[in-house]
Amino acid sequence: MNTSREPLLSLREATVSFQGFIAVDHLDLDVGKGELRCLIGPNGAGKTTTLDLICGKSRITSGEISFKGVPIHALKEFQIARAGIGRKFQVPSVFRQLTVRENLSIGQSRATGVLHNLLKFGSNDDRSRLEEIAVLVGLRDEMETLAAHLSHGQTQWLEIALILAQDPALILMDEPTAGMTAHETAKTATLFNRLRGKHTLIVVEHDMGFVRDIAETISVMHQGRLLAQGTTDEVANDPRVREAYLGSGGIGHA
Amino acid sequence: MSGKVSFQILTYGVVCLAILLLPIVVDDAFLLNKYSRYLVSGMLAIALSLSWGYAGILNLGQATTFGLGSYCMAMYLKLKTVPIHTGSDGLPDFMVWNNVTELPWIWVPFHSTAFALAAGILVPALFAALLGWFMFGGRVTGVYAAIITLAVMVVVNLIIIDQQSYTGGFNGLTDLAQFELFGFEFDAYSASTYYLVAIGLTISLFLSLAVTRSKTGLILQAVRDQEERVRFFGYDVALYKTFVFAFSAAIAGFAGMFYTIVMEFASPTFLGVPLSLSIVIWVAVGGRQSLLGAMLGALLVTGVQGALSESETFLETWTLIMGALFVLIVLFLPKGLAGAFSALIDRLAPASRAPISQAVENSPKAEAHIGGAA
Repeated sequence: MNTSREPLLSLREATVSFQGFIAVDHLDLDVGKGELRCLIGPNGAGKTTTLDLICGKSRITSGEISFKGVPIHALKEFQIARAGIGRKFQVPSVFRQLTVRENLSIGQSRATGVLHNLLKFGSNDDRSRLEEIAVLVGLRDEMETLAAHLSHGQTQWLEIALILAQDPALILMDEPTAGMTAHETAKTATLFNRLRGKHTLIVVEHDMGFVRDIAETISVMHQGRLLAQGTTDEVANDPRVREAYLGSGGIGHA
Repeated sequence: MSGKVSFQILTYGVVCLAILLLPIVVDDAFLLNKYSRYLVSGMLAIALSLSWGYAGILNLGQATTFGLGSYCMAMYLKLKTVPIHTGSDGLPDFMVWNNVTELPWIWVPFHSTAFALAAGILVPALFAALLGWFMFGGRVTGVYAAIITLAVMVVVNLIIIDQQSYTGGFNGLTDLAQFELFGFEFDAYSASTYYLVAIGLTISLFLSLAVTRSKTGLILQAVRDQEERVRFFGYDVALYKTFVFAFSAAIAGFAGMFYTIVMEFASPTFLGVPLSLSIVIWVAVGGRQSLLGAMLGALLVTGVQGALSESETFLETWTLIMGALFVLIVLFLPKGLAGAFSALIDRLAPASRAPISQAVENSPKAEAHIGGAA
C-alpha cells in the first residue's frame, strides 16, 4: 500500500448483499491522490460491483465509503458525480442519437443546473477544450458524426472522452479496452499513463498485458474480498492469487 | 452546424409567416374559426413533441393541462358576463341553479385579467411539476409513467364533472363573454382571433425551439437515450424531466386558453381520453423528434379529419380512414413525415453523408461483437 500519499478514496468494511448473496465482503481499500490503481480478479470477484458502490449505482449494506475525507455512500448518484467521481461503464454507454460533439458537450458538466443550461447554446461550450479531447482520443474528424455510427473501438474512446470532458478528480474505468484491437489497447495505455498524477484512476481490467503497461499498484479481489495488493511482480508471484486464478480448489473452498 | 441552425430558424419562420398571413386569402369567418382550432391542435402537438420526442416521456394525459388552461380562461370570461348571464347576486348562472349562494373562493381571483392569464399557464405548469416530481423522483419511467399520466387525467376529469356547483359539471362553462385585451374585442369568428392564436402558436414554437437548442435541450435528449449515463455526469435527471414536463404543460395550458376563446366554452371533454390520444397520433404522424413536424402533423391530421367528416361520402368511414393512415405511418415512417422529409434531403445531398449510411449497416454487427466478447 502506498502510504506516502493522502488517501483520496477509502472504503472501510464495505459490504453489499444482494438478497443474501454477498458480492462485496468487508472490503478495505485506499487509493491515494494521483494514483493509478488496477483492480483485477477472476470473474465474479466483485470488481464491477465495487465500482458501482463507489459511484452510487449500488448501495452498500454496511461499512463506509469516503472521498476526500467525506462519506459519500449516502449521496445520490448525481451528487457523487458532482463531488468529482466519473465512471466509464463496461458496456460502452454513450448517447447514440447525438453527434460526437453533442456527446462531449454533455460530458462537460461543470454547470449542472436546468435554468443555467437553458441559457447556454452550442457556442458557449469550452470548444477548444472539446477539440483538444477529440484530438486526444482520435475522434477529431468525427465531431459531427452520430455516435450510433461509430465503430466499437471508437465508441469506447468516445466514452473515455466524455469522462475527460467531465474532468473528475477520480475516474473509475470498467474494462476500458474490452473489444479493442491491440493497437487501440496500446493507445489507451499511453493515454492512461498521461492521465496519471493529474487524475486518480481505478481501472478494472482483464487484459494482463494492458495492466502490466499501466499499473503501479494492483489490488486483487476474490469472492468479494481483497486477496492481495502490490506491484505486478509481487501479485503475480503470490500463491493465493495463483490459486484463485487457476481456480483448481477455488470453488470447492467456497 | 450554425448554418444548419439558421436554416432551421428560417424554415420555422417561413411556416409561421405563412400561417399568420392566411387571413389575406381566406375571408370566411367560419373557416377562420375552424383554422384557429387547428392551430390550437398544433400548439398541443408542440407540447407533446417536447416531452415525448425530446425527453422520451410519453404523456398520455396531455389534455389534462390543456383542460386546466381552458377552464382558467373560461372562469375569467364567465365572470366577465356579470350581470347578464348571472343570478341576482352576481353569480354565474349555473351556480344559481345549483343553489350556490356565494362565489367560491377559487373563483374570486378570476375577476382579474392578469391573474387569469397567468393562471392559465402557471396552474397547468405547477400541476405537471408536482406530478412530475413524484413520478421522476421515484424513477417511474416508460410505460408506467404513460399510464400514470392517463390515470391522473381520468381522475381530474371526474372531479370536474362531479363538482358541478363549481365547474358546471358535464355541461362545462358556457355562455362566456368575448375575450378583450387592451380594449380590443376578439370575436371567435373573426380574423382577429385567428391572428391571436397564430401569434400564440408562433411564440410557443420559437420558445420550444430555444429550449431544444439549449444545452438543457441537449441534456434532455441524452436522458431519452441513456438516462443512467446522464446521472453519472452530475445532472439531476429528475429535475430535468420535471422541468420539460412542466414546460410542456405550460404550452398546453396556453393552448387551452386559446381554445376557450375560439370555441366560446370549456367542457370536460377537453380533458378527455379521445383528445389526449389524438395528440399522440398527430405527433406520431408529423414526427415526434421535430417540433415543426409535430405541429404540421397536427394541422394535417385535424385538417383531413375536418374535411372527411364534413364530406357526404366519408361521413360513415372517416374514422376508419384516419386509423388506417395512422397504422401505415407508424409501420412505414417510424420517425413520421418530418423523418421522411429529412431522409429525402439527405438523399438529395449525399456528398458528405455516404460513409454514414455504410456505418449504420455495420453497427449491428459491432454490437453483436460486443455481446460475444462479454
